[in-house]
Amino acid sequence: MFIDIDFAQQKKHNQNAYGDYFSSKRVPGRLIAVLSDGLGSGIKANILSCMTATMLLKFIEAGANIQKACEVVMNSLPVCKIRKISYSTFSALDCHDDGTVQIVEEGNPQFVWVRNNKEILNPQAQTITSNTFSNRHMQFYNIKLKKNDRLIFCSDGVTQSGLGSPNLRLGLRREGLIEFILKKLEGKPDISSRELSKLIVDFACRTEVDKKAKDDISAVAIYCRNPRKSIVFTGPPYHTDKDNQYAELFKNFNGKKAICGGTTANVISRELNIPVNTRISLTSGSLPQPMEMKGIDLVTEGILTLTRTSEYLEAPETVANNDAAGQLVKFFLDSDCIDFMVGAKINQAHYDPSLPVEIEIRKNIIKKISKLLEEKFIKKVTVQYI
Amino acid sequence: MKQIEVKVCLGTSCYVMGSSYLQELVDIVPSKFGDKVSVIGHNCLGQCTANWEHSEAPYVDIDGEIISNATIEKVLEHIERKL
Repeated sequence: MFIDIDFAQQKKHNQNAYGDYFSSKRVPGRLIAVLSDGLGSGIKANILSCMTATMLLKFIEAGANIQKACEVVMNSLPVCKIRKISYSTFSALDCHDDGTVQIVEEGNPQFVWVRNNKEILNPQAQTITSNTFSNRHMQFYNIKLKKNDRLIFCSDGVTQSGLGSPNLRLGLRREGLIEFILKKLEGKPDISSRELSKLIVDFACRTEVDKKAKDDISAVAIYCRNPRKSIVFTGPPYHTDKDNQYAELFKNFNGKKAICGGTTANVISRELNIPVNTRISLTSGSLPQPMEMKGIDLVTEGILTLTRTSEYLEAPETVANNDAAGQLVKFFLDSDCIDFMVGAKINQAHYDPSLPVEIEIRKNIIKKISKLLEEKFIKKVTVQYI
Repeated sequence: MKQIEVKVCLGTSCYVMGSSYLQELVDIVPSKFGDKVSVIGHNCLGQCTANWEHSEAPYVDIDGEIISNATIEKVLEHIERKL
């Protein structure tokens, strides 16, 4: 079972910083995530929520019991002098590979648990009151997820969207959110967490009066499902006599396949007897166009495309969808588990001093890409040097 | 008559050494030679590794003949000679 987690957010209208903060991390056997909503909006809220989420995540990751960690944070959050309420609210979860999840909520709307895309489950919560501030309570849940279960967490920007409009005097509320989620799940039962969280945020923005966000709006979606696996073969194997063995491994991989590298494509083409077809147009953007090989989902040039891909992953808003690197980014983001088979053979020609210095060493780029995929996009990545 | 096939190498070395500019051949060749010549990209002609100490990228393959340090003019000249 794989836990697909993603989030989307929108900042309050006219603000230049997000007041909600989401952070998550996969550690062996576990997935930890925290969504925090900072008091107010803009920079101040951004700093408050960022601090709360980061501290909690580190705390839980370091091995503290989630309930204990949250209690410490709840007891120590300062009080705003003007509003007399705590500086930030949060939802934290510690999800184990066997499906058991501990969830703590303090001030955020209650999460939504959907089973089989139609049934809403209402788990029992244990209320824990702060021993320093009697008006602070946190809800503790211990639940067990099954395959196809989904969890949706959001900031109050979602449940309160549309507040004051003639047909939603009290805003969307949790009921409205549930109705929307179920409708979307009916239309697309295998929707990814990335898409669902984005849809929820867009819907909340549309629900607002004048379609302008009155508060920071964030949604986190979790989906338990079979992992979408993919493999990337880049670089020819160090020992030429093992080309066939690795090509066969690649062929028999159960999932999506990509090749990054002209020579690598030639090696696979030779070993598996699949011709490489180049398209008529030679380039797209400033990168060579992807090529086509039967049975392989994406075939691109190597170093330049990978370098651009790592730049795109660093700044996803700059992705150009029509070039090879943009397609590779999509390939990565549509996968949960990504295996890299990195051939260690070097192309001497790349070390020619007359070539631009941008030509990086393959191992370094893959290291960079895999780190980004793991830490920023929460993918499961393995790298094998061959 | 058999069509002349021009393969422009789009491997990493060739691409950075100038084959990105050779894509203009896709437009120039048909307007000059009609359907007597076809131009396609190639993932890697393998020339860079074969001759890595004295790289003469970019390479273009015209019906099996390798053109090194290829430029648009050089390629057009070779095609004319073959016709």
